[in-house]
Amino acid sequence: MKNMRRLPVWILCCVMLAGLAACGGHGKLDKAVRSALVSGDTTRAAYDSLCSIVTQDPGNYSDLLTPEGKVDHKKMAQFIEDIASHLRPPMHWNTRPYGGVDDLSLTIYFERSGSMVPYDQRGGGGQLKKAVNDLINHFPAGSKVDINIVNDGIYPYQHTVDEFLQDRDIYQSTAGIGDASYTDFQLIFNKILEAQRPGNVSVLVSDLIYSPKDTHGVSLDKIFNEENSLATRAFARYKGKSVVVQQFMGDYSGKYYPYNGEPFNYSGKRPFYLVIIADSDVMDQLAQDKRYSGVLDADAARNSYRFNQGTSEVQCRVLPEWKDNAGRFRVKHGEGIVLAKCQGDRETGKLCFSMAANLGGLTMDDALLTNAANYQVQSIDGYTLAVQPIDPSMVTANNKDYLEGMTHILTLTGDLKSPRDEIHISLRNELPGWVHQSSSDNDTSTGGSFATTTLGLEQLLGGMFDAMKGGSSYFDVTIELQR
Amino acid sequence: MKHLVYLICGIVVTVIFFILSCTDGFNIYEMMFFNQGYNDKMYSLDMYPVIAAITIAVAWGGAAIYYYAINSVKFDRWYHWLAVMGAVAVLAPVICYIYNDTVFASNGLMYVGESIKFEMQTVLFAALLYIVASFSMRWWSSNCRHTPLPQ
Repeated sequence: MKNMRRLPVWILCCVMLAGLAACGGHGKLDKAVRSALVSGDTTRAAYDSLCSIVTQDPGNYSDLLTPEGKVDHKKMAQFIEDIASHLRPPMHWNTRPYGGVDDLSLTIYFERSGSMVPYDQRGGGGQLKKAVNDLINHFPAGSKVDINIVNDGIYPYQHTVDEFLQDRDIYQSTAGIGDASYTDFQLIFNKILEAQRPGNVSVLVSDLIYSPKDTHGVSLDKIFNEENSLATRAFARYKGKSVVVQQFMGDYSGKYYPYNGEPFNYSGKRPFYLVIIADSDVMDQLAQDKRYSGVLDADAARNSYRFNQGTSEVQCRVLPEWKDNAGRFRVKHGEGIVLAKCQGDRETGKLCFSMAANLGGLTMDDALLTNAANYQVQSIDGYTLAVQPIDPSMVTANNKDYLEGMTHILTLTGDLKSPRDEIHISLRNELPGWVHQSSSDNDTSTGGSFATTTLGLEQLLGGMFDAMKGGSSYFDVTIELQR
Repeated sequence: MKHLVYLICGIVVTVIFFILSCTDGFNIYEMMFFNQGYNDKMYSLDMYPVIAAITIAVAWGGAAIYYYAINSVKFDRWYHWLAVMGAVAVLAPVICYIYNDTVFASNGLMYVGESIKFEMQTVLFAALLYIVASFSMRWWSSNCRHTPLPQ
């Protein structure tokens, strides 16, 4: 009887011990990872503190350590990803930059043709040189940087990077290199693509004016067609490449060489371009790795566009609390975006919800991303889309984990009529409007839009676009609505 | 033997309650009160299991104290048992709220109104678990085994 009396105590003890055992394992690290993700503290300092938890208790975290007792960053990233992907909403923390990943190398191809020299005159604003210097400086100290001079061929720059940065007249110090009377883009693009090694970022600094040898008497249409074809051919041969074209404005003072060969003097603004070429995964790293911030999102860039291959994955999180939300819904967690128990607004009957999306990886300029006309939205109830960039003032303590790492808010509004609906959103894969606006087919006089346009830009970039167009959209998102 | 069955049933019900409080698809806490932002944070910070464990511990602890510590003929009336249930139903949500608030504060979150509404559920669950615990363990109490209902 006495033993019988003790039985419930024993059973209770067993249940409690089982509970305690379930709470063991990587509890401290698990809790710290969750806390960092939910509070939006996905910084290097937070990652370092996670690593110190692991190194302080090697017995418990031996599976996250290398045989030498150091943190295995790959396993650590996997551990964090496992937790992050099961959160609400599922999150992602790119810890790759903290895990001893090799720095990227930079190779600059500086065009030295006749029409480039006036961009870097002593009396000018020096925007061209500043753009290149900034590019070099946005790479971490110690990164391998090579500089080449290009025109009819590719020639190595004979001085050091520091000398290049301090050079006040780069065209004077590189005078006599190659033949500056023409630029062979076919050769340049082929050489760049051929020479590129994994982890390398190649940047062509150019006015992107196609000026091949001996164009006397050749029609402009023929030159444009040739330009278009060579760009397509060059890039189509090298799969897996990604290209970002950035447009800058610089002071120009000197002789301009139009296609018909009658040079004239011009003083004023002129566009120039940085063509950034890298493997797609390297370009993704440039876009996401904070060590390289300023490379793809250069402040001085007037316009930019990323040529890519294939449709990108875009991370989206439905915002449960947002000023524009109308009606009610419940986010179902699991595969895809599903809103269950949807109810329209009591007064208007409309359902309005917002999603935070990370469109940064697309490397598109904001004007393109925030223009709803560039998106295709399909649904039974005719939902409409509005896109706005995320402003720091929008971030509150309660929504920062939803907005962390996101760049834009996509707001969808529609009449909730159908019992079930599917909203398909896609960003159309088209050349952006600024390419057409910045392109001209006549550069024989300084009138009109000469200061803001480049001869044949649309044909050159159009050729690259044709070579690298992977699909009809840059990204696709589907949202399922259930009553 | 019948009493042991009661005990095992009580533990099973409690374990089921604990499991249903941790699941993602069907979560017992999200059946009665749901605020997307608040509940997502509760889930992401792994707070449901702790809230459920506190509720279970207070309910079973309250019943254990009544039947084995108090265990007096002076306190064997139904209203004495009810008074302990009242204490459990107040204590559990208060502890859960303090825990809730501490975790949210350490993560820079503010959900005061939602936390108060959420803890109303804990009042109910603590009371129900106290009844379950009472009928699981009362049989071995020397003075209170007839409370709240005679055998």
